[in-house]
Amino acid sequence: MLTIERVSKRYRKGPWAVRDLSLEVDGGVLGLLGPNGAGKTTVLQMVATITRPTAGRIVFDGADVARTPDALRRRLGYLPQDFGVYDNLTAFELLRYFAALKGIHDRDRVRRMLETVNLHAVADRTVGGFSGGMKQRLGIAQALINDPDLVIVDEPTAGLDPEERVRFRNVLSEVGFGKLVILSTHVVSDIESIATQVAILHRGSLLALEPPEALLSRARGWVWEAVYSSEELARVRDRLTISGAIRRPDGVHVRVVQQEPPTPGAVAAEPGLEDAYLQVMSTVAAGAETGHGA
Amino acid sequence: MSGGADRIGAIVRTDFLIRFRKVSTLVVFLLISFSAYLWVPDPASGQALLQIEGRRALYNSAAIGMATASIGTILIGLLGFYVVSNAIGRDLRSRCGAVIASTPMKSAEYLAAKALGNAVFLATFVAGYMVVSMAMVLVRGEAPLEPLVFARQYLLLAPPTIVLVATAAVLFESVRWLSGRLGDVLWFFAWAGGMAMPAIALESEHTPSLVRYLDVTGLGFLISRMRETLGTTQVAIGTSSFDPSKGVFVFDGLTLSPDWIAPRLVATVLPLVLLPVALLFFHRFDPARLPSRVRSGSARAGRGWLGGIERLLKPLTRPFSLLRVRSASRGGTSLWSAAREDAYVTLATAPLPATAILVLAVVSLVVPLGALRSVVLPIVFAVVALLVADVPTRERRNGLVATVFAAPRLAPGFVWWKLLSTLIVAALAASVPLVRLAVHDGPAAGSLLVGTLFTCAAAVALGVLSSNPKTFVALFLVFWYAVVNDGGSTPALDFAGFYGSATATVTLVYLALALALLAGAQGFHHLRSRT
Repeated sequence: MLTIERVSKRYRKGPWAVRDLSLEVDGGVLGLLGPNGAGKTTVLQMVATITRPTAGRIVFDGADVARTPDALRRRLGYLPQDFGVYDNLTAFELLRYFAALKGIHDRDRVRRMLETVNLHAVADRTVGGFSGGMKQRLGIAQALINDPDLVIVDEPTAGLDPEERVRFRNVLSEVGFGKLVILSTHVVSDIESIATQVAILHRGSLLALEPPEALLSRARGWVWEAVYSSEELARVRDRLTISGAIRRPDGVHVRVVQQEPPTPGAVAAEPGLEDAYLQVMSTVAAGAETGHGA
Repeated sequence: MSGGADRIGAIVRTDFLIRFRKVSTLVVFLLISFSAYLWVPDPASGQALLQIEGRRALYNSAAIGMATASIGTILIGLLGFYVVSNAIGRDLRSRCGAVIASTPMKSAEYLAAKALGNAVFLATFVAGYMVVSMAMVLVRGEAPLEPLVFARQYLLLAPPTIVLVATAAVLFESVRWLSGRLGDVLWFFAWAGGMAMPAIALESEHTPSLVRYLDVTGLGFLISRMRETLGTTQVAIGTSSFDPSKGVFVFDGLTLSPDWIAPRLVATVLPLVLLPVALLFFHRFDPARLPSRVRSGSARAGRGWLGGIERLLKPLTRPFSLLRVRSASRGGTSLWSAAREDAYVTLATAPLPATAILVLAVVSLVVPLGALRSVVLPIVFAVVALLVADVPTRERRNGLVATVFAAPRLAPGFVWWKLLSTLIVAALAASVPLVRLAVHDGPAAGSLLVGTLFTCAAAVALGVLSSNPKTFVALFLVFWYAVVNDGGSTPALDFAGFYGSATATVTLVYLALALALLAGAQGFHHLRSRT
């Protein structure tokens, strides 16, 4: 369905934002993980035909998107990072506007989409007064209004409270069935339950493209639970890759991601996706320290 | 094609709704409409709207229609540009542009839609202004209202300007280096200078007829028709004194003679060539083609040739770092120290005008006193206006209001903080002229002080009221142009004593105006903070 072939992107005389990236996905939900500055947004902007690759090509269903962007745009839903709104339009007017730009003139479809994202009760309210979560749901509604085959959402949960995050995730997993959804985030829990593939980016390069299960298998044996006193933890914190910590009466129970047990008493733990992500990233860091790179 | 028309229609409709639901738009709309009342003075006051060599025109539909249409056309050309030149910028700031770019909408459709949206908006303004002007025929009651004759004057004069402003705004927003403050200033001079050329050329009967096709403002057409129907080009349009003993003349209105049909049509259509030019430069919200100041979200960080110049000049702004508060323990607790920091930010982020301040300070030391007042000072005020326009609006435009208001005193004292900040910048620019004037001409120094306060108060008040720096830039540049063109002939215009014609009363009036502007801004800010 989507093939990215040796794509690179450089902004004017700046550094390379993406370097020699290749991947291929057929459908489902692709979670794009990586720290800030990894190139996630640039990759999404190139796939969404907002900007052209400096080198390489992106092919969607056999068509080069740089050469024939309109072929993809008709089947695309895109929610950019920090999606804003025109404050003095109502939710219905704003969604109808984006629908019209995508060739959809069915007012009922607009109403139904507002119901899907649970905004039908406030359809006639101006969106300037909406919360961040409501605006994001409106954003996903505009991305889905044309029933797209490819949905691209960039950091959709940034700034949302935990309840809104869960609601947003549910909406995406419901409507994403039968489509290709690409979701970028640096919050692993956003994609833990819905991603069918996970791509990990670092400094514009692809470190891994695997199903979550494969990443989890790879991390098995790398995750430890150790107990430290607060003083001990403060001393060793900088040397450890910590994916979680809970304070209990006997000390701080810490999840540590590394090949060797951090303490003699450390117990092997079942990895989660966050652990798997940190395992990939710590491998890169170790490679960089020993001069082998990623 | 129908899809394209639908998409264009959706953008035009949405832009119209967005603009007309803003309180500021409605206020400007009402102000401009109300201004029609001011243009048509009661003849009993000794002043009239239209006259030829002291003989006033009867207030019939043709006279009021033609005169208000020509004034309205000039206003739309100058101010309308600043009002509409944010259509693409709004999509950029809201990130809706990225969504639009990911739809099948063609770039040409988008630009055409934005230009059409601008034109519809401007035409609505002109229509509102025309209706109020029509009412003035009834108010003055010298002749019956003839709506068709009235509307004909507007149709013959306004459309080319509306099309030009609508398309030029799209072009300026599409070209990277024209999309900022430089473009605002260039438009002002392009309009004030270049657009009047055909009118000047057509005053002569021997001008090549080709010039008629470039007469976008319609002033050339107006002068030419006046010469043909009334036998003179010495027409005074706008409120001015007349000689009652000369009686009145009846103006029958502008009509379209056969030799003017093609020129008026071409002048209306010609500005459309700006759209294909805009298409060449349009970024389609591609971050690789956007100005870096927009991409990074910072107020200023230009690449390109202008950015190169600014980077080159940046070291010259170092002396302004003396403004910064040195002591961390005492700093940041008073409006004064906050204003010093704010003034530093203004100067450090605008190396080009900041360097101009330094250059003007040196020039002010060496030029003769006369040149200092009538040449250097107007330039100083223009530079100051460009520098301080952003000051009261930048927090709101960059989403920093909550951050700034969390600091002590800045929320309730916002207006005074910004006034102090702009005054520091203006004082730096005007300090050398002020000292020289104080030594040689005390009253002139007082006038300069009041002019400085008036300028800063206007920048703060208009910025607070509209949240848009262009409001101040547009209004101040028009005012500045009128002052400089007048050259001191009208004492009431000599707001900063450039020409030594300001009386004590004039200076006091500008002081009162400055205080009124500040009071209005504080009241508005207080109300907005409460809601």
